[in-house]
Amino acid sequence: MKIRTLIASVALALTTIVSGAQANDPAKLNDLQIAHVAYTADNIDIRYAHLALAISTNPQIHAFARTMIRDHEAVNTQALALLKKLNANPQDNFLSKQLTANSHKLVDKMSKLRGKAFDKFYANNELAYHKAVNGLVANAFIPNIENAEVKALFKVGLKIFKVHEKHAEMMVKGLK
Amino acid sequence: MRPMKMQRREVVGWMAAAIAAAILPFTIPVFAQMQPTPTVHIVDIQDFAFAPKMLKVEPGDRITWINKDIVPHTATANDKSWGTGNLKPNQSSTITVTKGMFDGYFCRFHPSMKATLAQ
Repeated sequence: MKIRTLIASVALALTTIVSGAQANDPAKLNDLQIAHVAYTADNIDIRYAHLALAISTNPQIHAFARTMIRDHEAVNTQALALLKKLNANPQDNFLSKQLTANSHKLVDKMSKLRGKAFDKFYANNELAYHKAVNGLVANAFIPNIENAEVKALFKVGLKIFKVHEKHAEMMVKGLK
Repeated sequence: MRPMKMQRREVVGWMAAAIAAAILPFTIPVFAQMQPTPTVHIVDIQDFAFAPKMLKVEPGDRITWINKDIVPHTATANDKSWGTGNLKPNQSSTITVTKGMFDGYFCRFHPSMKATLAQ
């Protein structure tokens, strides 16, 4: 019952993202706004991972969290290098703000959990988060990005995050 | 007469040694050439996959894994008996094949990345 409640909380948080995205169409964001969303989403997942390393004692959770930090930092490094090359700065926008606000709520919730309750919440959230972000990247961002180099980087990023989604799926199954 | 015989034997011995010394430097490279040259294999790590996914190798062959992705990877034996360690983007690592390596391997960071070494 407790776990069901937690999963429902994750679902509610994601619904907020999706409904917000519909109110302010993410497909209408420009390249620099999209870059900002991606950078924000990467940093949010890095933050969740650091929280997992601090709270969880499960080696499986730790391995996944370390991979999230390693990979998302690598993607951010590439993104920043590309923006520097293009002499452009990412632009804050409604979606970045919404993702950040939702992440604060989730971090507050996760910080209060311990043991298996934390592990299950973290794993389920990682799966849901990657599914939601991958959907955005595939359906709203990639088709609308104008700059070829930015589009190419997002395609590479999507491949990476789909692997993360699969990895999160394995982690969720492993915790059952 | 007896001392003379000993001298001949010595001379023959010295001659044999001299001939051996003269020939040896030429014979070693010939024998070396007769040894089979180890084959060098390249495994690309790209798009979160090992290519080729199944590689046929022999003991003594050398395998070089090259990470062409933008995130770090490893090539690690399923039983963890060998591994490349952390391969950052554009880094490579070469391992000489031994008998114990004919099995599956994976990326420690991304467990869905799997491949096999076969004989």
